[in-house]
Amino acid sequence: MRNRKLLIAVALIFLVSVCLSVCILRHSDRRTVEIVQDGAVLYTFDLNRAEDQEIRVPAADGGNNLIVISGGTICIAEADCPDQTCVKMGELKSDYLPIVCLPHKLIVRFAEGEA
Amino acid sequence: MNIRRLTELALLSSVALIIFVIELRIPNPFPIPGVKLGLANIVTVYAVFRYRPAETAMIVTVRLLLGAMFSGNPSALLYSAAGAVCSLLGMLALRHILPEKQLWLCSVIGAMLHNIGQITAAVILMRSPGVIAYLPLLLVTGSLAGAFTGLCAQLLLNRIKR
Repeated sequence: MRNRKLLIAVALIFLVSVCLSVCILRHSDRRTVEIVQDGAVLYTFDLNRAEDQEIRVPAADGGNNLIVISGGTICIAEADCPDQTCVKMGELKSDYLPIVCLPHKLIVRFAEGEA
Repeated sequence: MNIRRLTELALLSSVALIIFVIELRIPNPFPIPGVKLGLANIVTVYAVFRYRPAETAMIVTVRLLLGAMFSGNPSALLYSAAGAVCSLLGMLALRHILPEKQLWLCSVIGAMLHNIGQITAAVILMRSPGVIAYLPLLLVTGSLAGAFTGLCAQLLLNRIKR
């Protein structure tokens, strides 16, 4: 019967995760974004006011990412690593789901509170 | 360890590695860091049920190290290694509780532990607790992928008699 309990526990975790995922994927109404590398905030922008621009952020291992702000949205446009996950994530949309580049320890996220 | 055993382990490692390299070529429909089908884990789950813990650990270690080299992304190694250690320990413990018929459940729990290990490594390495928001997403996709690889391994287990 231990197995049944295990099965129920797994099913519960799964259902809770589904609910949380739905919450997490909601779009954000915050407009202040920050670019964080290795735990330190490098840049902060207000997307309503920031002009369109490109920022190249070098990483400790010699690589780099190109972050593009255009028309009130922010995304990572280029990364010189093989997996390209951060590029494929597209524009930053959710409060809880930052754009993350694992190899370069880079995070683009909405800032806490309004600026 | 005799030659036969060694050859079997080497064969399983290379099968896992081939599956891993082929999977790299399949475009990922979910652009979320850490989300993967993890087909190579069919071999891991199979080994958990058919081989000794130390032998399974050897297969996984070889797969991890060579996989990181072949994918050309060695920095991802830390995350996948943290996940693999958690998942392997959990599955080796579960093997004594779960019968072969419930191998898929073992695989699902293994996948969830893998995700938890991955996220823990990410939180520590990136020094940003916010990354934990990915965990629910990873758990959902991970358990689905785990169920799939587990069912594949279960089919294999029935076909390969010893």
